[in-house]
Amino acid sequence: MSRGKMLVAMTLVVFVALIAVNQFGHGGNGDPGGTKTGSYSTPTKTSVNDTLGASTTPRNVPVSQTGINQLANETGHLRVSINFTWLLITGFLVLFMQVGFAFLVTGLTRAKNAGHMMMMNIAAFAVALLVYYVVGFAFQFGGVSPIANLGNVSPLNGIFGHGTAGVIGLHGFFLQSGNSYDVGVLAFFLFQVVFMETAAYIIIGAIAERVSFAGFLVAEVALAAVIYPIYGMWVWGGGWLAQLGNSIGWGHGAVDFAGSGVVHATGGWIALALAMILGPRIGKYRKDGSVRAFPGHNLGYAVIGTLILLFGWMGFNPGSTFGSTDLRISIVAVNTLLSACAGAVTALAWTNAQWGKPDISMTCNGMLAGLVAITAPCAFVAPWAAVFIGVVAGFVVCYSVRFFDSKAKIDDPCGAISVHGMCGVWGLLAVGLFADGTYPISGWNGVAGPVKGLFYGDVGQLGAQMIDIVVGFLWAWGMAWIIFSLAKRFVKVRVSPEVELEGTDAGEFGQVCYPDFVQVTETDARLQDDDLAIPYLTLEEQAQVSTPARDGHAVGAVPHDTG
Amino acid sequence: MRAIVAIIKPHKLDDVTEAVRDAGVQGMTITEVRGHGRQRGHTEIYRGAEYEVEFLPKLRLDIVVDDGDADKVTDAIVAAGRTGKIGDGKIWIGPLDTVVRIRTNERGSEAI
Repeated sequence: MSRGKMLVAMTLVVFVALIAVNQFGHGGNGDPGGTKTGSYSTPTKTSVNDTLGASTTPRNVPVSQTGINQLANETGHLRVSINFTWLLITGFLVLFMQVGFAFLVTGLTRAKNAGHMMMMNIAAFAVALLVYYVVGFAFQFGGVSPIANLGNVSPLNGIFGHGTAGVIGLHGFFLQSGNSYDVGVLAFFLFQVVFMETAAYIIIGAIAERVSFAGFLVAEVALAAVIYPIYGMWVWGGGWLAQLGNSIGWGHGAVDFAGSGVVHATGGWIALALAMILGPRIGKYRKDGSVRAFPGHNLGYAVIGTLILLFGWMGFNPGSTFGSTDLRISIVAVNTLLSACAGAVTALAWTNAQWGKPDISMTCNGMLAGLVAITAPCAFVAPWAAVFIGVVAGFVVCYSVRFFDSKAKIDDPCGAISVHGMCGVWGLLAVGLFADGTYPISGWNGVAGPVKGLFYGDVGQLGAQMIDIVVGFLWAWGMAWIIFSLAKRFVKVRVSPEVELEGTDAGEFGQVCYPDFVQVTETDARLQDDDLAIPYLTLEEQAQVSTPARDGHAVGAVPHDTG
Repeated sequence: MRAIVAIIKPHKLDDVTEAVRDAGVQGMTITEVRGHGRQRGHTEIYRGAEYEVEFLPKLRLDIVVDDGDADKVTDAIVAAGRTGKIGDGKIWIGPLDTVVRIRTNERGSEAI
């Protein structure tokens, strides 16, 4: 059988399996038609600030009550509709961030790899989305408690773990199991899958220009199936980190509003592990250890990408209320903007002071640093604190990029580790410091009272945040390290030196992003032979690298093996 | 006949083309090139790391003239292309065996 026919056959088998899974979903309490969701008879009383919906049952009511019940039904349905609209539209905004990130990372890398960068972006989205649909979503939210803003009917109530020590969700595989074929669940899925995609594309920035496409896909599958969802479950899915308030009485447990930790730090730490295993790009470090810059081929792309990300973040953070009936959304949005701009201005000023001229790409990184850092605290802090958080994030990203580049010698072409890892940690910490006790009225993670940081009298909250930071790092970095180290034995995770020098566009895909442009850059043309030694590879691998064929290949004619 | 090759600063293109047209030149060819002279290139900083830009962007003009016009055209290029700072470029002039106009197959001075 040819490989093409084999693929068709496997596809048919998968479809049969999907239909089989569908059979488990019938006769349950899901609401695929969307008519029951939000009616007054479904309990919508929430732990936050919701008074709508009592325990009245629709049966045996007096005639005069019928009209009132109908009105309550309409109102409840409308309320949920408004929240659905908000959640979906902010989800679409987050989806658009994929475009911003594609521009950003492609602009910050060399023209000869531009097609590879773009291909990784689209493949990350497609592959990770399907993997998350199959298992990731269920692992993360299979046991999340019903969400009031989405109508409170949730079949996602399967949780593995004891009491306050939930470790993994169990409902919602294929969006079918446990009756999860439901309007509320699918609205929630759309919003959550684009968050996962954010972590999925973060890693591209740190592994760019030398990771093989096959190695990248392995990392994406691991991220979408295991690493992201399980840590996400611990913080957002009702897991043990979220329950630290209930179990050991530390604040409200780990509080991470829109994912400085769950999304960004996770992505950043996975990126760190991958970048360490892959090693730096050929020529990044000269023999004397000094750093060579590989200027990105289109800083305009980087700026466009950053501004698209800023726009998308207007969905990322305010959308994390899951509904616009929570009027805190305006504060969330403005805090996000304040922190982003404070981060950008800080990086702009720092690079100007340090190097004599403001650096365009670092200003972009500064804006993203502010955005990442405010993502966890955006709902809990006052505007002045948002500005402060952004300023600190701007400094963090500048010093961190310099540290990873010249001290740690971990090659991160787009600054993903610094922007998402380091600033994600700062964001989690900032919740524990600056949360001012104005939000929510009560009940975050099932603990009474509003979220307060150290400066507002709750030292336990800071403790919970610190546990979250350490656990998040160990989990994401450690799992990525283990999985990618294992994968390295079976898959060629890094392209051959020939392909890397020729450009991954031609070597991996046989097509180049800019066929009509001159491909050779001055930096590439002047690599010395002794630049080619690559740390982190085994001696055997280094020997293989030390005698590359560097000339005489036509574009697209390089023999290669992507594993 | 003479072949004049001039390497000039890109932003001087308008001044130079105007000057050589005034000097009677009908046609010319320009190419985007990169190069350096005695001063070599310079270093730039990208995300805190230095990199060398050894070859700077320049424009190359190729002009073909009759022997008698060579000095006049050369003077025009020097006058128009000069800023007095490092990196103004260079002109070199050499003899030319023949020139052909492809459309009519004219040869020699007729074809200029």
